[in-house]
Amino acid sequence: MDAVETFPKRSQSKWMPVRRKRARQSKNLEPCSIAERADPAPALATPRVDVTASRSIGRRILDRAARSGGFRIGALLLAGLVLAAALYPELSGIDPAMRDIRARLLPPLFLGDKWSWAHPLGTDQIGRDMLVRCLVGLRYSLLIGVASVAVTVVIGCALGTVAGYFGGRTDTVIMRITDAQLSIPMIILAIAVLGADRPTIPAIILVLGLSNWPVYARVMRSVVMAERGREYVRAAQVSGATHPRILLTLLVPLLVPPLLFTSVLDVARMMIFESTLGFLGLGVQPPTPTFGSIIADGRKYLLNAWWIATMPGVFLCLTLTSINLIGAAFERARNSIHGGA
Amino acid sequence: MDPVLSVRDLSVALTLPGRERTILDAIGFDVAPREIVGVVGASGAGKTVLSRAVVNWIAAPLAIRSGHVSFRGTDLLGLPPRAMRRLRRDIAYVGADPMGALDPTLPVGRQIVEKLRAVMPDVSRREAQARVIALLDAVRIPSATARFHDYPSQFSGGMMQRALIVDAMVSNPALLVADNVTQPLDVTVAAQVIRLMRELTERFETAILFVSSSLPVAREAASRTLVIDQGRLVEEQPTEALIAAPRHAYTRELVAQIPVIWGERPSLPAVPRAAGARPTDAIISLRDVSQTYRVKRRGSFAATSELRAVRNVTFDIVKGDSFAVVGESGCGKSTLMRLLSRLERPSAGQVLCEGRDIARLSGAELLGFRRKLQLVLQDPFNSLPPRTGIGAMLEAPLRIHGWRDPRKIRERVRAVMDDVGLPVALYDELPLGLSAGQRQRINVARAMVLEPEILLMDETLSALDQTEQFKLLALFEKLQRAHGLTYIYISHDLAMVRKACNRIAVMYLGEVVELADNERLFFDPGHPYTRALLSAMPALEARRFRPEDCLMEGEPPSPIDLPQGCAFRSRCPQAFEACLHHPPFLTVRGARDLAACHRVPGAGAALLAGAA
Repeated sequence: MDAVETFPKRSQSKWMPVRRKRARQSKNLEPCSIAERADPAPALATPRVDVTASRSIGRRILDRAARSGGFRIGALLLAGLVLAAALYPELSGIDPAMRDIRARLLPPLFLGDKWSWAHPLGTDQIGRDMLVRCLVGLRYSLLIGVASVAVTVVIGCALGTVAGYFGGRTDTVIMRITDAQLSIPMIILAIAVLGADRPTIPAIILVLGLSNWPVYARVMRSVVMAERGREYVRAAQVSGATHPRILLTLLVPLLVPPLLFTSVLDVARMMIFESTLGFLGLGVQPPTPTFGSIIADGRKYLLNAWWIATMPGVFLCLTLTSINLIGAAFERARNSIHGGA
Repeated sequence: MDPVLSVRDLSVALTLPGRERTILDAIGFDVAPREIVGVVGASGAGKTVLSRAVVNWIAAPLAIRSGHVSFRGTDLLGLPPRAMRRLRRDIAYVGADPMGALDPTLPVGRQIVEKLRAVMPDVSRREAQARVIALLDAVRIPSATARFHDYPSQFSGGMMQRALIVDAMVSNPALLVADNVTQPLDVTVAAQVIRLMRELTERFETAILFVSSSLPVAREAASRTLVIDQGRLVEEQPTEALIAAPRHAYTRELVAQIPVIWGERPSLPAVPRAAGARPTDAIISLRDVSQTYRVKRRGSFAATSELRAVRNVTFDIVKGDSFAVVGESGCGKSTLMRLLSRLERPSAGQVLCEGRDIARLSGAELLGFRRKLQLVLQDPFNSLPPRTGIGAMLEAPLRIHGWRDPRKIRERVRAVMDDVGLPVALYDELPLGLSAGQRQRINVARAMVLEPEILLMDETLSALDQTEQFKLLALFEKLQRAHGLTYIYISHDLAMVRKACNRIAVMYLGEVVELADNERLFFDPGHPYTRALLSAMPALEARRFRPEDCLMEGEPPSPIDLPQGCAFRSRCPQAFEACLHHPPFLTVRGARDLAACHRVPGAGAALLAGAA
């Protein structure tokens, strides 16, 4: 941790010249198309007033991402899953908690000999429809995963940015709070908070969100510290920008996107944590199905009814794959546009 | 005499997937023993690639296409690495980036010993250490034995460059390749380094290939100069002949662009004084401004010392002036810039803008001041946010100052881009792949977009090569005429200042030591430090001041423990008794000029009055 903290300071004084030199060199070696177009600086050429042809940078990133195959597959998959989770349980009219002892432990379609069209993914030990239960579970998992990561990112980035930008006493106070938070294990926090009261969904989101932000705060602080000393920040100050404006319009748009791509992975982690809590009985309470409780229930039947414990896993896998595909496509598009393509 | 180095028909290409670009095209030249050969060219001409090819240090994506580099008859380019390593003791290389060349975690002396023992394994450690200390002494690093154990961070830039020269010279090489060694150094230190290199050729019989982007610097060092333009060797002549009678068109242009300092009076910028404005109408006045920082004392836990970066500075800048603040690194220029632009408030004294103390401004008034004074920054690569479109960059200041109508904002930004010579087509582009000059134009546009009255140029031109500087200076002149701007240049480049400014303040260790009009300062400087700067300035013409008379060895003392008396006395060849005890005050010379030296007539009287 110490290394992480001291690194940006040193990198500024010692490494910057090297980096700058490299930038200059690469410029020398391959003058890019823009430079060639612009170099003669035809100041007197009639200024074109119509530049609607060129598109804004955000727009270009979106377009480039949308053109990639991975993005399309991911988007289709995610859209399908989200639509199914949103609509199917209501449209099909099947209650995820409805028992049907006669149809218990039915296998998924075309497997074994007792499958039925009424239950495409089979049923569990008391005859509840697996498809509906998985889709309802997906709703809660997605909600909890995305919302708790959002809480984490917002708290972590806000505190880290403020600490890194203002430095000094602000930095010390915020970082000590971060250290304190880091020293509390997530499970202990969860048991303390969720065990004291009935675990509701907002409470679960808060617990998961609050237990993970220190990592973001530290990363954000170190990049902001490195960036704060750069000259363009000074230029913004001289042009009259206030500190909040510099933070929100200059630094955050520059530094947060790379962090967001890694936070996609955290969505998966949060879904798994939620399952863990469910497994411990501290998650969403039955009869509401979540991935954690379905897996916990299906564990006992793993040998003769493997689908009960695996189906939530399959859904989890599909969801995360699609989110990752989309995230990766965006990341690539952003890098290639910002890299001069 | 056989040449030490002979390069024949050398071509190097940059190979990228799908295309290939020639960097060096059929270069050929010789270097005789004990000769210093200069290599001059614009940035991007292939100088660095050439200096690397000569030491057999060409790596992918660069590739050698043809030619030989023979060193005492052996062709280097075909040598296997093992044989090359043995030759490294005879061929040394010094680069432009001394910070990057030394390992920050090892003492400087140990690194040099390590290199010496790598190329000459038969030297014992003790012997090597003695030799390194002797050489550190020879390049005039003060108290070399103690410095041997210091870390690179404890060295100043000039000392680090000297240490690297020791690193190169320690094995008594027959050839030293010096790639832009003086570029990161101040003029007085650069002059010392060049003098040192000339001495070394005599003492150690080393030949030097002296690569530089500046013709005046190469002239200081080299007896013969090669001119490279876009990878081709366009001219080779003895340096004096090259400057007197350049044959190739490119060289002629290069020579013509070097500003004339003392020769014919260069066309000074016409000061566009508004009719009726008296020259006493100060737009910015500094009143006894000081800035003190507290820095942690090295080797202590919580003790701090005072670093007095700017000390009691007083001057006025008149509307329409091109005012320059010159001085070497560490003299307080940048602190002064931060005070003028109100990035910081002075710890004592006042900065007045049209009579109002800017430290007291806040809210709307501060915003008004910001609109009046804008800053153009130094580093074209660092000063633009890397992932913002150029149009958005230029729009930001307008939005800060309350512009809301997107159409008006766009129009204003386009007008400014047109003003500074940026193609409007760049509006939605990122600043990638733009040349340093183009980036600097964006910087100027960002400052100009608010229609300021004062532009503060913080070393704006020092990152650019001669040709770009030339173009931008013309642009500044045009903008000044069109908008009636006042410029404040903060610079270490006296040649540029001579060309562009009408009034000049010279700073040394946080103090203004001389304040004078352009003509007077260059022809009749009142302070020995100004004379030293002028003598060290690389130029193409006969000097008015000889460095031998004006410049003593050494570097400025640390601003943490300032010496008693005159701050410059440790380097001043004319220091006498009074300088030891009494700091000199700015004394009037003539109508408008001031200098802080006991040698100025009248200064003694003030001193006596003070003593009495």
